[in-house]
Amino acid sequence: MTDIPGLPSRRSFLKASAAGMALSGLALPASAQNAPAPVPLDQYQPDYLTADEWAFVMAATARLIPSEGDGPGALEARVPVFIDLQLAGDYGTADDWYMEGPHDANAEPARGWQTPLNPAEVYRQAIPAFNAWCEETYQAEFAALEPAQQDEALTALQKGEVGLPAEVRDFFTILLANTKEGYFADPQYGGNFEMQSWVYIGFPGARAAFREWPTRHNVKYPLGPVSISGERA
Amino acid sequence: MKTFLRIIAGLVVLGVVALLAFIFVPVQRSAPATDLAADWQPEPGQGEYVMHASDCVACHTSDEGESMAGGRAIASPMGTIWSTNITPDKDTGIGNWSYADFRGAMVDGVTPNGTHLYPAMPYENYRLMKEEDLRALYDYIMTEVPAVSNKVQETKLSFPFNLRFGIRAWNWLALTHEPGFTPTSSTEAETRGQYLVEGPGHCAACHSPRTAFMSQDGITASDESFLTGGVIDGWNAPALRGAESAPQQWSTEELALYLATGRNAHSAANGEMGLVVEHSLQYLTDEDNIAMAAFLKGIDGADVDLPDTIAAADHRAMEPAPADAAGEATATMLTEANPDISLGARLYLDNCSACHFVTGKGAPEIFPELAHNALVTGSETKPLISVILNGAEVPGTAKRPMTLRMQGYADRLSDDEVAELASFVRSAWGNDAGAVTAADVAAVRAAGAGH
Amino acid sequence: MARQEKKKDVVIVGLGWTGSIAGIELCREGLEIVALERGHDQSTVPNFEYPQQIDELKYGVRLKMMQKPSQQTVTVRRNDGETALPYRSLGSFLPGNGVGGAGTHWNGLNWRPQPEELRLRSYVAENWGEEIIPEGMNLGDYPVSYDEMEPFFTHFEKVAGISGKAGNLNGEIQEGGNPFEGWRSEDYPMPPTATTYDSSKFQEACLAAGYHPFPAPAGIASTAYTNPYGMQMGPCNFCGFCERYGCYQYSKSSPQTAILDALKMQPNFSYRTESEVLRVELAEDGKTATGVTYWDHKAGEEVFQPADIVILSSYQLNNVHLMLLSGLGEAYNPLTGMGTLGKNYAYQMNGGVSMFFKDENFNPFVGHGANGMCIDDFSINQNDFGALGFIGGSYWRSGTFNGQPIRNMPLPKGTPSWGAGWKEGIGEWYGHAMSIGSHGSHMSYANNHLDLDPTYKDKHGRPLMRMTFNWQDNDLKMNQYMKSQMEPLAASLNPDVMQSGFKGLGAQYDVRPYQTTHNTGGHIMSANPTQGAVNKFSQTWKAHNVFAMGAGNFVQNTQYNPTGLVGGLAYHTVNAIRTQYLSNPRPLV
Repeated sequence: MTDIPGLPSRRSFLKASAAGMALSGLALPASAQNAPAPVPLDQYQPDYLTADEWAFVMAATARLIPSEGDGPGALEARVPVFIDLQLAGDYGTADDWYMEGPHDANAEPARGWQTPLNPAEVYRQAIPAFNAWCEETYQAEFAALEPAQQDEALTALQKGEVGLPAEVRDFFTILLANTKEGYFADPQYGGNFEMQSWVYIGFPGARAAFREWPTRHNVKYPLGPVSISGERA
Repeated sequence: MKTFLRIIAGLVVLGVVALLAFIFVPVQRSAPATDLAADWQPEPGQGEYVMHASDCVACHTSDEGESMAGGRAIASPMGTIWSTNITPDKDTGIGNWSYADFRGAMVDGVTPNGTHLYPAMPYENYRLMKEEDLRALYDYIMTEVPAVSNKVQETKLSFPFNLRFGIRAWNWLALTHEPGFTPTSSTEAETRGQYLVEGPGHCAACHSPRTAFMSQDGITASDESFLTGGVIDGWNAPALRGAESAPQQWSTEELALYLATGRNAHSAANGEMGLVVEHSLQYLTDEDNIAMAAFLKGIDGADVDLPDTIAAADHRAMEPAPADAAGEATATMLTEANPDISLGARLYLDNCSACHFVTGKGAPEIFPELAHNALVTGSETKPLISVILNGAEVPGTAKRPMTLRMQGYADRLSDDEVAELASFVRSAWGNDAGAVTAADVAAVRAAGAGH
Repeated sequence: MARQEKKKDVVIVGLGWTGSIAGIELCREGLEIVALERGHDQSTVPNFEYPQQIDELKYGVRLKMMQKPSQQTVTVRRNDGETALPYRSLGSFLPGNGVGGAGTHWNGLNWRPQPEELRLRSYVAENWGEEIIPEGMNLGDYPVSYDEMEPFFTHFEKVAGISGKAGNLNGEIQEGGNPFEGWRSEDYPMPPTATTYDSSKFQEACLAAGYHPFPAPAGIASTAYTNPYGMQMGPCNFCGFCERYGCYQYSKSSPQTAILDALKMQPNFSYRTESEVLRVELAEDGKTATGVTYWDHKAGEEVFQPADIVILSSYQLNNVHLMLLSGLGEAYNPLTGMGTLGKNYAYQMNGGVSMFFKDENFNPFVGHGANGMCIDDFSINQNDFGALGFIGGSYWRSGTFNGQPIRNMPLPKGTPSWGAGWKEGIGEWYGHAMSIGSHGSHMSYANNHLDLDPTYKDKHGRPLMRMTFNWQDNDLKMNQYMKSQMEPLAASLNPDVMQSGFKGLGAQYDVRPYQTTHNTGGHIMSANPTQGAVNKFSQTWKAHNVFAMGAGNFVQNTQYNPTGLVGGLAYHTVNAIRTQYLSNPRPLV
């Protein structure tokens, strides 16, 4: 296995995973204990994303929520898997949205989603456009840049300085939103691996039972999270 | 009805040889305890009411079928038993039956051609019904129930269970009591309650234990073991009397509310009792449900306070009960939600405490209490495991229309986890019942929902 | 050729709160009733069951309880000069879907309007003169008074199962309740829910400032509860999954907990789901309706359902749309002021302050949608409109309602929105913030109205409804006033960091961020046929056998969440149908 350029080394990823395991202890339910360990991210076969897109999403989410410091990063939380599955599903295809024309992609942002593209198509068109901008600016595509350059490029993307076509101008907005969704959503969607993000901030997940707690003022709720499937940490 | 399978097993004990002696002796029907005038007429609605009180519909109606047209399948290892069509259709129902024929079935368990009914039909109890009620029921079926042509599949059990004359021997042991009702209660209400409980309500069919021959051990109030609890197909029908009886801890009003609505401050009726509430008890008057509650409360000699009505208030807020003294330690431990609690406690917080609360007391009329709950602490663990895996449902009734459903946790919890959880609730809040094993859980899981 | 169903006495369009109320009350009159529901059927179990419902991504973010824009939506523009564009993905407001409607996914805040709010034009005229009413504001009186409505508010609160503390019992002010509310004939059916830490801090600060805190009126059960239909609620456990979710605990007031099982038991009631009403059919003389035509999604065909009475009880936007499509009135023209359908569309003007306390723990996931303490010291009947320069008011509330981290992650200004700084920020601040919200009135204006879009069509080929809406100075001034009053109160709590979010003058309507699903008006009540679309009994002026229920009746929006007024009006309407209309069908006014 070779390390993907620009990503935290495989060793640091494994280390982060081991930390995740330690957090969740031995309390996994039998269903989870019997579940096969998920494939490492660099062996993951995306449902929607192409190899280039996958490399981009890996690299970008690794900067949006980096691994350094306390708490899991996007890669430890397997956020790229979440994004791939979401784009492959009815979010990616905007099944629930009104997508009839005519479209005015140049409408003021406050008018809402007006591009004719669905989110999956926005990723598909925006990633090469952004990579082209990176090539032009840094002479390398995004995934190959140094972390500091990646941060700089993402900042430019966020500020609208990259000059993306109007149809994909919301790319950064949805990329960041999807990254945070994958970080905090129930693990059944592929991200928030082993509920590490919930453990980090102290959110008890799907427990949803606190009748004794409203009157326990200024006492930090101590118990770790449970997922919808019953996984415990 | 599930009792029947074990009744059959009891039959075998008697031996086939002994049966031969009375195969060919003609069957006799009991004489009525009261002679009614030939022109006696029931009150309007009396017969339908008796039908509800006797819960005919539950067994004699199939899931998608017309009321009382039979065809409800009862699976058994010996074959399927099909309930019969009791509408007045002349070809496929009981339209050709005389009153004496009908009475013979209700009181002696014998059909017009002399065939013995399988004792899934509770003639042991219907035998105690008043002549007036039997007549009214007959009149109702013959004149008001629409005739439905529905040829029900014949019940064909394998040898030796297909030999219905064997039941005759069993009847000699089971039908030792005279037909008709003998009041032994002290008040008018309790006497009415006694009648409904003993006779049409056939409560003893489930709530009395069984003899070695699987006949009801305790059919009337004068029997010591009457309503001291039974076991049906791995489910406890709890004792309704005695110091250990959970329902005896309830007030008469709570007991009556349970009968009328399937729910009260402590418990909720699911499974077989849910069906009784749904098909029978909800149709009875408040007076009668209160009468039954009064009889049950007074059965061991306690004084009984009679409420006027059931669920009378226009609207009502009911505070959930705090933990009792026996439950306080558990409640405190669960409230603290310390990460190093036992797996059973953790599973309780993750899956159960939302509704049943750390107190194990639940909430009145909606979330049953688990502390000192007969289903939780019963000798049989299958019901508790089944509820955890498959959920439970309390049917809506006229007074409490909401169908209360608890979802099952079969997908969320492994056998080991269910065992830990069940063992925890059987020992929390002062509950003192034995542990459950993963193998117990696996067996219930394998049987699937609906068992 | 449309299939034709057997005629019914009553057809109900939409089986949410008002449709359920109409159904159960008219069933008791022995009428044959059918309800048509566009969406799917749903019950607490299995549709809202634990743990599947506790899924922020699916319901909180992907909005799977809601109306899908692909199914039905509107176009939006901010003034008559703009081209309206479709509201393609949900943002600013979230209409519900399926049996129970928005009543399944609301927060549970159940208010009555103040008496003054139902006669606001007269109240303004009497105290300050009509000259303070700004140009373009369609300020009006409701054609019903608070005193007329009081028994119906009380009854709805019993049915819905509301927890709270009365502040005015038959004119006597009650300690600990809201002293500025209208009189109540009875106290709330349930006591208030428990007070969380943030609420108690807010309460203390309010008392110190001389304000009058009281528990929020909550359609959230504080105890076990049985309502007048025998329907039941279980005590809330503060799971925090109210808004956007169905309640798995039977704790939230909803058609499911309050009415539906009792209604379904009635032999003369039936309902059909996935039955989307396309139009109300009028008789040739145009004075009555003959029934409704709907699209049967299961059969894939149009169906005509004849009925003697038509009750429109779908969501406000959909009611107005259906009325516009069916010719149940003339469309409102803001230039001439003529026409009534689509008139007085209004919304809500909200703001708030967040406070961060690095050493205090708020457990933000412990809460419920209607949690908290409130004050009404800045409400409509407390504000001197003449001196303040606006007409309106707001109630303030503080109480945890959900701590779900995808959507509820308040961070001090200056925290990066991504990267190492963001990750550090969420670790440092999650669970250490509280907020106070201002929930304010929204007046009606000529600019803000609803009509049919000239360009965009729905799946049935019908024009989408077009919303013309923008924020107006009067309400923005009100909001800025609340900011000026709330910030000092928030500062008195000595937070480590605090920050405000109040729209200021010049703010333009942005359809993207969620604001509120309190869309009101469009088929407003009026004392005469020239002013509104329905009379005081929600009976359309156009066709006397068509009744239009819901927040579309609001002359202007109140400072409160609308459900209490919607429920009260529904009982008021149904009472009129039962006692006045059935015996002699005619225009009741």
